[in-house]
Amino acid sequence: MNNGQEFEQIERERKVRRTVFYLAFAALVFIAGGFLIWKLSGLILPIVVGALLAFVFRPVKDRFRMRWLPHEVQVLCSFAAIGLVLFFAFNTLRKHIPDEEQKLEFKVRLKYKLNEKYRQLVAKPAEEKSNPVAPLIQHEAGPLMDRVNQWLELNPEERDLFLKYAAGYNGKAPIEGKFVDYFRANQATAKYVIPEKTSASAGPSVTSTTTGPAQSSVDGEGTSLESKLSAWILAPLIFIFLGFDNGQIRRFVIGLVPNRYFELSLTVLDRLDDAIGKYLRGTLTECFLVGLMLTFGLILLGLPVEIAVTIGVVSGLLNAIPFLGTVMALVIGVGYALVAENIRPLIPSLNPNDLALYVVTLVVVTHVVDDVVFQPFVLGSAVNVHPLVVVIAIIGGSLIMGLWGMLFAIPTIVVVNTAVATFFKELKAYRII
Amino acid sequence: MTTRNVVADKLLWQTLDRWKRSTPELDRIEFLKTVPFFDRLSNRQLKGVSDIMFERTYDADELVFEEGQPGAALFLVLDGKVAVEVLRETSTTRLAVLEKGAFFGEMALLDETPRSATARALERTRTLALYRNDLKGLVQRDAKTACQIYRSLAATIAERLRLTNQLVQMTAPAENVGLE
Repeated sequence: MNNGQEFEQIERERKVRRTVFYLAFAALVFIAGGFLIWKLSGLILPIVVGALLAFVFRPVKDRFRMRWLPHEVQVLCSFAAIGLVLFFAFNTLRKHIPDEEQKLEFKVRLKYKLNEKYRQLVAKPAEEKSNPVAPLIQHEAGPLMDRVNQWLELNPEERDLFLKYAAGYNGKAPIEGKFVDYFRANQATAKYVIPEKTSASAGPSVTSTTTGPAQSSVDGEGTSLESKLSAWILAPLIFIFLGFDNGQIRRFVIGLVPNRYFELSLTVLDRLDDAIGKYLRGTLTECFLVGLMLTFGLILLGLPVEIAVTIGVVSGLLNAIPFLGTVMALVIGVGYALVAENIRPLIPSLNPNDLALYVVTLVVVTHVVDDVVFQPFVLGSAVNVHPLVVVIAIIGGSLIMGLWGMLFAIPTIVVVNTAVATFFKELKAYRII
Repeated sequence: MTTRNVVADKLLWQTLDRWKRSTPELDRIEFLKTVPFFDRLSNRQLKGVSDIMFERTYDADELVFEEGQPGAALFLVLDGKVAVEVLRETSTTRLAVLEKGAFFGEMALLDETPRSATARALERTRTLALYRNDLKGLVQRDAKTACQIYRSLAATIAERLRLTNQLVQMTAPAENVGLE
């Protein structure tokens, strides 16, 4: 055997050793990683949220990039800008959160107005015997109204507190007289369903069976809430540390890739980064536009600015979950339209009595504009997911992780879809497969 | 060079001087200074370029890239030797052997067109790679540096075009000469 053959033999053996080592190491990482993910599953969500926030806010950090400014100062400047915006947003939002008196007042008003509308809808035509559908509606909607009334009923402490506020309490002016009238009328509201039809024993038995477990579940919830909160401390930490990252993580990942896949991995990572960034920032822009359109629409319909802004913000944020934003806008908007008083639409030809109908129309128009204009222009082809897949993903997400699962279902599908498509396309382009 | 840049350069070199005399960071910047592709850049600009480059080590006979693959990065030979070859049906033509300080695959900085040749390490070779989109990102952060690099790239391509033209004039029949 000459020197060349000996060298080749050594190299072959080295290659085999290297392959065995890599495979063993990969298996070890896989097992250890799987075990850690299983054991620390509670930390995954805060880490993902922190990472996504860092990803979404990266353009803000890039905006502060000046070559004469040290990287750490740039990051601190961008954090200060984000912090200031969040501070003002929360401060503004906090001002509009109703206090104890306003909550009681709203409950009383909501119950009174809902019953008033229900009686207008059902009771009156039934008396006139002109509407044959009315008894059917009464039969179907009566139990629901009873349940709503039960939910909106003030408990004895709340009743006492309301009467105290009505007379002027805690240094506040007395509640308006009409709300006290509503309160009295609510006290006299009877059940709509005939008592024989409801089981007399159902109420107490439900109460007695739920009291025990409810107490223990409250205790359990307390401890789990505490552990959840401590896990969520990770989210801002991840956000901050990823914010300070100046490409080191990417360099580290690329450093692990074999030479053969060096250019491929750079291209795939870049395309993924681009597609996911476009999707996430596009979704945020879309949510903002939907919220803005709803807010302006509701202001035009005559709703108070703070209510319109609240509905716009909530519906806009929830618009990240397909359909949920529209449903919430419909529920909150129509709910408010039913109890609203002294509404003066900014469009003169509108009748304030048909406010609920206008709100429904506005929400439907916003949904259509979102589908036809905002999504194609803002998101482009970033989210070409079939509606059936969207529905299945949302339900699946909610089954696995509840509300968070619903929120992350579509982004996960988009990420996986983009990753797989890009990966296979580039593997073919680089003639690896 | 503006006063601010002079101050920034001074600060950078003071920082670098505080380190050991031979650090990978300093070595890399010193190396980049010797590459004609970056000869117009100041020390501060070279530090910015060095930060976005990837160091890769190839074993003997290992492929850096293959002919026909989409190009993504420019490579600089830090040390070692790289052969640029064109593979034909029955034979392989070696176009050049590149050594320390040489660069190849520069067209990848412009677009994704397939590589026109194969690059193979002839011995254990260290390279520095500059990825196309990182250079695009540099345009946003430090337009002047990126502009200098693109200018060097344009000069390199123009020089190659001139050489190709000369080659065509030398090999083409007399009646076709003068296509310029």
